[in-house]
Amino acid sequence: MNKKILIAVLLVALPVFAQTDTQWVLEQSALTYHMSHPMHEVSGVSHAAKGKGVCHAGQCDFLIAAPVKSFDSGDSNRDLHMVEATRGAQFPMVIVRTQFPEAATTATTIYADLDVQFAGQTAQYKHVPFQRVSQGNQVQISGTVPATCSDFKIDRPSFLTVPIKNEIPVRVEMTWRPM
Amino acid sequence: MQALLAKRTHMLKVHQTLGLLTTIPMVATLITGPQAKAKGKNGETITEPTSANLDFHLALGGLTSGMYYTAAYFSMFAPTVPGVKPKGAIRLHRVLEWVHGPGMIVTPLLGIEAYKQENAGEKVHGLASYHGTAAYVTTAAYGAAIVAVSWPIHWKFWEK
Repeated sequence: MNKKILIAVLLVALPVFAQTDTQWVLEQSALTYHMSHPMHEVSGVSHAAKGKGVCHAGQCDFLIAAPVKSFDSGDSNRDLHMVEATRGAQFPMVIVRTQFPEAATTATTIYADLDVQFAGQTAQYKHVPFQRVSQGNQVQISGTVPATCSDFKIDRPSFLTVPIKNEIPVRVEMTWRPM
Repeated sequence: MQALLAKRTHMLKVHQTLGLLTTIPMVATLITGPQAKAKGKNGETITEPTSANLDFHLALGGLTSGMYYTAAYFSMFAPTVPGVKPKGAIRLHRVLEWVHGPGMIVTPLLGIEAYKQENAGEKVHGLASYHGTAAYVTTAAYGAAIVAVSWPIHWKFWEK
């Protein structure tokens, strides 16, 4: 009987001991959206994102979140209009979840599948390439999320009856470090 | 909060549209100004403007004032968001309000005085003689206020 219990304990415990979790924390970031109108080119940047990642059993899960109102385009009126258009008072955070194989964390290009929650909608972007550069114990990740207004059911703001372009690509620059 | 932002956006959109449309009668009033002015120096024969020219200029001025104050109403009474400080081009836009706002009060008042003097067969004199100058300064400040919130402008209407 004791032998059986010992085997059972070992079966449960061994994989746990075998797996070494790696945790990552977002140290600094710049998320920049770009909006295009025939009369204006506008970029808004946020440095307020928080993020955490866990690599476990060969799989990495990352979560990054930033307040919608933290995006600064250099014009307070435009920023308030952006918060209104993206229903930012109702859905104040933009949340990105991603998963990729742990083996990819050492590659120079990481192809990530992204789940983006924004403006009360969730959009998925598959196989988005991110460049990875390692510096000491820090890892810099950069890439562009090909977001569009229609992905999040955002009514495109217009000026002189001409709406902005549907494409609002978000440039991502992040520095991660292991915890 | 979302409702407040929606109301603010709506009111500022009306302000923007009306403000842009106001430039049409404003510029037209400026253009018709010289035709509504008596010509000639004191001691010489003075050519009075026709009543039609005077009335047309007056009507355009009235239309401009009406549209201007309606546009101003939508800006002044748009809800503000607590804790948000004006930043960027909107600051210059607001500074220029202190020029074209008083200008839109003074210019019509001087215009009415000038109109009375013209109708009395007098050459415009005194403070009323600054009606034109006030109009030019007001229009320039108004135009600058529009450009301030539109700058930098990229003209790419041919691009889809």
